[in-house]
Amino acid sequence: MNETLKRTHLYDWHKKNGDVVPFAGWEMPVRYTDIRGEHMAVRNNVGIFDTSHMSRFIIKGPQAEVFLQTLTTNNVSKLGVNDGQYTTCLNEHGGIHDDLTLYRVGEDEYIWITNASNGPKISAHLMEHSPNFEVEVLDKSREITMIAVQGPKALSLIQKIADRSVTEYSRFSSHRVRLAGYDCHLCRTGYTGEDGVEILVVDTPFTDDGKKKATAFWEELLKQGVEFGVKPCGLGSRDSLRLEAGFVLYGHELDEETSPIEARIPYAVKFKVEPKYVGYDVVKRHKNEDAIRKTRIGLVMIDRGIPREHYPILLNGEKIGKVTSGGLSPVLNQGIALAYVKPNSVNEGDTIEVDIKGRIRRAEVRKWPFYDPDQYGASRRQ
Amino acid sequence: MSDTDVKDDRKYSKDHEWVKVEGGLVVVGITDFAQNSLHEITFVEISEVGTTLEASNECGLVESMKASSDIFSPIGGEIVEVNTELEDAPEIVNEDPYGKGWMFKLKPSNLDADIAGLMDAAAYKDFIESL
Repeated sequence: MNETLKRTHLYDWHKKNGDVVPFAGWEMPVRYTDIRGEHMAVRNNVGIFDTSHMSRFIIKGPQAEVFLQTLTTNNVSKLGVNDGQYTTCLNEHGGIHDDLTLYRVGEDEYIWITNASNGPKISAHLMEHSPNFEVEVLDKSREITMIAVQGPKALSLIQKIADRSVTEYSRFSSHRVRLAGYDCHLCRTGYTGEDGVEILVVDTPFTDDGKKKATAFWEELLKQGVEFGVKPCGLGSRDSLRLEAGFVLYGHELDEETSPIEARIPYAVKFKVEPKYVGYDVVKRHKNEDAIRKTRIGLVMIDRGIPREHYPILLNGEKIGKVTSGGLSPVLNQGIALAYVKPNSVNEGDTIEVDIKGRIRRAEVRKWPFYDPDQYGASRRQ
Repeated sequence: MSDTDVKDDRKYSKDHEWVKVEGGLVVVGITDFAQNSLHEITFVEISEVGTTLEASNECGLVESMKASSDIFSPIGGEIVEVNTELEDAPEIVNEDPYGKGWMFKLKPSNLDADIAGLMDAAAYKDFIESL
């Protein structure tokens, strides 16, 4: 095994109970039992994920807000204490350094949660810009364990172990709560399309004691969750769940050459902001002049076959784009994909073709999520 | 690795396919090692009956929850039958890779030469141990 791969606090538990594989420089569980079973546990009940491989920075100081507005595209001034937002961090050409969740946890204190694969890049980016502001940037990735609890029964599980009422907390909020006696930030966010939370278990240093504490909390979630049908879930179902919900993943739908407008995540981008963030002018041009080079679409296979990353997308035999993420939807039992195509080349409901290793197969352009939102997802009918 | 099943009654390719000669035809499938590595097989597609192949030609694909893998025919010949049960129940390959999970049958065109290039059970066991 590669010596340079990093491990989370929960590595020993994963190794004992799951299939551990290399992912973005980390040794992470791809599954514990089977990906589809874990996927459906989250759609129907509740699943828990170790997401401690993600990077967590604390940014604090009197100029924290202006520093963050310089580097991120959502409106930072809209964040009250205990609020959070999905946002992006751009390069000067309007391409995406990373997408992230930003929480305001104090008057002048924020938590920046970013992709594992981009942790070192974002750390360098923050360190490069921070000397110009009265801010302090602290990498807390090794001192905070991060666990996602997702699914229609996630809040019932959390309420059972919380020291106060948590069910009224709004989407994207973050509150200090004690869960089963552990000090946590409880964030009403997730990456599955389902209701749920992402928990930051504070004061879990990367020591034997810290690992023991993190593992005890994880096991407590599993124990308390039995009555709700909880399952531990690996990165395989994390990916299939986010794909079914139509969420972007860095390195697939997002990269340094793609703007948030092209990625169709306009809710991450605001224009009435002061100061203007890095990349502002390009993104504004993309929005106003429709000067985009490509646009993201969703597709569901009509014919048999599973679309995969890099497969060409054809319209009447002519190449108009390519798949960036694809796989089987466990809910639909059909191939689904996210893809980029030429702007204005197709509309929802159009039939296109996917070149599956030389086999030309029909697919329909669809909006996401790919599941029926009345039946699945956070806004399902009760 | 030690719990991987390898049958003595057939030959193996480095692409983790097995072949078994049965009454002048060659049956092809993927090995226990292959199905175990792929895990959760969700889709199997084999080229149509009547397709003529040379040894090592690509002739289909297997999809798992995580990835797509090509199937190569270890033997040259004409595809005479495809296991259509796998269309609706691809998980049979996980459950019974050497039996009900067979993928296609070939009428071989150059059997002796092609089969000489394959491994017997002992050699295949050594091969997967070395991976």
